[in-house]
Amino acid sequence: MSAPASLRAPAPLRALRRPLGAVAGFWLALVVLAAVFAPVLSPYGYDIQALKEAYQPPSAAHWLGTDEFGRDLLTRLIFGARTSLSVSATAIAVSVFCGMVLGAAAAWFGGWFDRAVTVVADLTWSFPEILIALILVAIIGPGTLGTMIAISVAYLAQFTRLTRAQILTLKGETFIEAARSLGASNGHILFRHLLPNALAPVLVSAMLATGDAIILEATLGFFGLGAQPPVPSWGGMMSAGSALVFKAPWVILFPGLTVAITVVAINLYGDALIAALDIRSRLRRAA
Amino acid sequence: MTHSFRKTLLSASVSLAAMLAAQAATAQEAVFVMAGNEVGAPTYNPIKATMLNTATGLIFDRLVSQAADLSYHPWLAESWEEAADGMSWTFHLKQGVTFHNGEPFNAEAVKAWIELFKTTEGENAYMAEAIASVEVVDDQTVKFVMSRPEPNLLYNLSSTFMSVVEPKSFAALGDDFGVTEVYGTGPFKLESFSIGQETVLVRNDDYTWGPQLATNHGPAKIARATFREIPEDSTAFLELKTGGVDMLLSVPPDLTGEIEKEANLAVVTLPGADVWYMPINVTKAPFDDIRVREAAAKAINQEEILASVFGGVGSTADTFLISALPESHVSDGAKIHYDPERANALLDEAGWVMGADGVRAKDGQPLKVTLWTQSDSIFRRLTEVVQAQLKAVGIEAEITTFDSSMIRDQYKTGEQQLAVRSYNWDNADIVDWFFGGDRLGYPNVSMFNDPKAEELRTAAMTGAKNMDERIANFTAYHEYVLSQFPMAPIYQPVQAMAYNKDRISVPEKIDAPSFGSAMFMDLEVKE
Repeated sequence: MSAPASLRAPAPLRALRRPLGAVAGFWLALVVLAAVFAPVLSPYGYDIQALKEAYQPPSAAHWLGTDEFGRDLLTRLIFGARTSLSVSATAIAVSVFCGMVLGAAAAWFGGWFDRAVTVVADLTWSFPEILIALILVAIIGPGTLGTMIAISVAYLAQFTRLTRAQILTLKGETFIEAARSLGASNGHILFRHLLPNALAPVLVSAMLATGDAIILEATLGFFGLGAQPPVPSWGGMMSAGSALVFKAPWVILFPGLTVAITVVAINLYGDALIAALDIRSRLRRAA
Repeated sequence: MTHSFRKTLLSASVSLAAMLAAQAATAQEAVFVMAGNEVGAPTYNPIKATMLNTATGLIFDRLVSQAADLSYHPWLAESWEEAADGMSWTFHLKQGVTFHNGEPFNAEAVKAWIELFKTTEGENAYMAEAIASVEVVDDQTVKFVMSRPEPNLLYNLSSTFMSVVEPKSFAALGDDFGVTEVYGTGPFKLESFSIGQETVLVRNDDYTWGPQLATNHGPAKIARATFREIPEDSTAFLELKTGGVDMLLSVPPDLTGEIEKEANLAVVTLPGADVWYMPINVTKAPFDDIRVREAAAKAINQEEILASVFGGVGSTADTFLISALPESHVSDGAKIHYDPERANALLDEAGWVMGADGVRAKDGQPLKVTLWTQSDSIFRRLTEVVQAQLKAVGIEAEITTFDSSMIRDQYKTGEQQLAVRSYNWDNADIVDWFFGGDRLGYPNVSMFNDPKAEELRTAAMTGAKNMDERIANFTAYHEYVLSQFPMAPIYQPVQAMAYNKDRISVPEKIDAPSFGSAMFMDLEVKE
């Protein structure tokens, strides 16, 4: 056994010691910083049209060129990071929270409640996320809020199942039995012992799901169902660029590359994190 | 391993040879891509449908055909006379014409077909409304007895909605007519139809009665025509470029340049019948105030849109009608042009004060409105420019994008404030269609219902005894509608089509207002 956990650096930092984890972590930090400081970093306004300067290829004035309205593509990409990251991360956070509550309650109480939750979770899990999201957006209506709700519901089953499986295995451990025999209440055992121990795998899988959610957000944006113009989102930019792929290929190329690199980076960093936490076996058991 | 690989190679080359042989045997085949705005037409039933696609015009013939200059020419009717008082029309029908199912086309068939408009439920009944009864004079002559003069009768008879259907099968098939089976007298028969995907037509070999405007009167040169429905223009272009299809029936302006760059592709254009416009819902605040409507309408910079969104191809629109129509010649004051000073002055006058953030406000309420559009890329692009132009006078418009097939149902809710849309029609009665007080929601997206307009509308639709009167009445109705600003005109495109020069030869002169029989009869596949 290596050094006690309390003496080691936190896992997210340890993940950076692996070369792939470091590269991925660097890119993710860059994207997050760009999103946070978008108004400071951006050289132009994201909705300022200059129709006479439309379709300009990358140049010194416009590093990534301009789109069909003469808007600076770099600016829109930076602001698009805001939309894509905030929508995906918020949606996954909501999904994780609800999934953990549902999954923990199902595993803890068992009985008919467990069966009901499992059946519903399995049922929604048998549909591809994109299908659930599309149906929900059609019902709620297009826009950022609709996309967020759709994504969080689409991933709910995953976190419910994962948490439930974690709690079920932990429930039989000796330390829980010990706590119970010491007279700990249900709530105490659940919130102080079970959930903290189940947290790590759920958070890592939430991180990986965020990568998928970025793709899902981009897909919905591509269909015109995500953030509504002029607010940029990576998917929306790719959708506009798809009509210009012959005339101005950079309009679709840069957002496409950004989505691809970001999602790969999230996965690599997530892998590094799994290795650092040494929880691969626990994740496999849950899935 | 090697052995089985060789066998695979051998069988592959054999099947390739078979495919090539099959292709040579059926060379007069061509694949077309339907115009984007025709995608999803649910039926080939002209009497019931509110939307028909191009293939409709090849399955059916009409009594009258229309030339590029909008003049009328014989087709299934060889000649006609109108009574001096406009109360009856006599049509002399072509001899030897039969429907696809073998039934004869004659005076009885025409009578039965016109009567279908009275007995079939649907939006198109108005087209035959003025015909009180049909008299069979002899086998090849019919007389339409009118309930009132209808100067627009020839136009109606030349429209695809008055395609001559075979009345017996129409009655027998019910709602299946136009979906599973369909019978007309046209140059092509329906082989298969899957809604939203493709329609396959095969040549009617008996056809000899093509419209006078075509050089070839029949049968058609192409034996088998497939019409595919591809909603996204750039996908359709890729299919054309890679040889998957032979002709696109509509090409957006931003792709014409790309097509001209390709050595084997060519663009052919016809005058346009489309108008792009921004309907304004007159019942929704703040647009219940005519000053705000006028301001929004005059914030639209048509010249800038023509240059930037449509690459200078086509022309700006300043009325609701295409400029080829005489009814579009309203007084100069009634035409709607970009006028930012006027727009700003009107908004000031209406109490909307410009705020520091560039958005006007009144009583603490910002001037925020919704702007609906459909998901096709060209609509979204135009809508974003419109959004920026409205912002320039202090109106903040929030865009909502709907799927093209869903948006009509959304309009029926009446919740829209502004929208960007287009229509395709080359008759002034489109003003009645989109602004008639009895069609609120959709087609009347503007929810416009004005007593004076309704009066002028009745006069225009039913009050004219001859064409000159009809034009005058419609011009007055159109001009009044414009003065109420239920919409802002934006743009009139030309109809651009693209084809593969190695595969298809297109007639040099196309004398038709749109792609249809007259043009199709002369199309040829190169061998």
